[in-house]
Amino acid sequence: MIREWTSFFVAVFSLIYIYELSLFASGAKDSALALMRNPGIIAFNIVALLFTVYHALTWFYLIGKVIPIKMGKTTSKPWQALLVNIVLLLTISYAVIQILVLR
Amino acid sequence: MPKVARLHAILWGVFSTGGFIAALLLPILIYLVGIAYPLGLWPVSSGDPTSAILNHHHIGTLFLFVTVAGSLYHGIYRFQSTLTELGLAPAKRALEASGYLIIIIGILAVAYYLLLLNPGVLSLP
Repeated sequence: MIREWTSFFVAVFSLIYIYELSLFASGAKDSALALMRNPGIIAFNIVALLFTVYHALTWFYLIGKVIPIKMGKTTSKPWQALLVNIVLLLTISYAVIQILVLR
Repeated sequence: MPKVARLHAILWGVFSTGGFIAALLLPILIYLVGIAYPLGLWPVSSGDPTSAILNHHHIGTLFLFVTVAGSLYHGIYRFQSTLTELGLAPAKRALEASGYLIIIIGILAVAYYLLLLNPGVLSLP
């Protein structure tokens, strides 16, 4: 059931961020940034991040279970899909930081 | 395949893609804009990450659109079906209708605001 509730945090964060983009677009950048510095929003974001990471890990495991890959005589195990996708998650996150934030 | 079943398969496929987007791209967005920026953590030392991402016109805008639109679709789609599993099955049609309404308005809004913030994004890089 926890897995299902991760969708709540995914959806609410998306809606909050759309609202932030609307403030950016209307020129109210300071209001948008003040919203993100609100302690309640920060607390929500920390919980949302935990739930989103939980969603990611269970999703990767589930994919490995539902769509196992055949390699010769062996078939991939769910934990292998989990491992490969964790590496992918870390690589993409690092690339986003390097390309979109630090450059 | 009947039309309804085909539509359901397409919607489920988009949901699945949204699940991957939420799993691979959303954690870093939440960390950057929702935690690292307000708490002054690495790698956000100065300035806000949304502006930094939008400065990379095409790839930054594409990243924000795919992440927010995909996550919104996945989150709302799953949440409305969770509510029906929790005993709101009689209101299934209404939940589905309001869910899709939020998804459509949300995705259009993301596209609109990103276009306002980066008007040149539709031109070739």
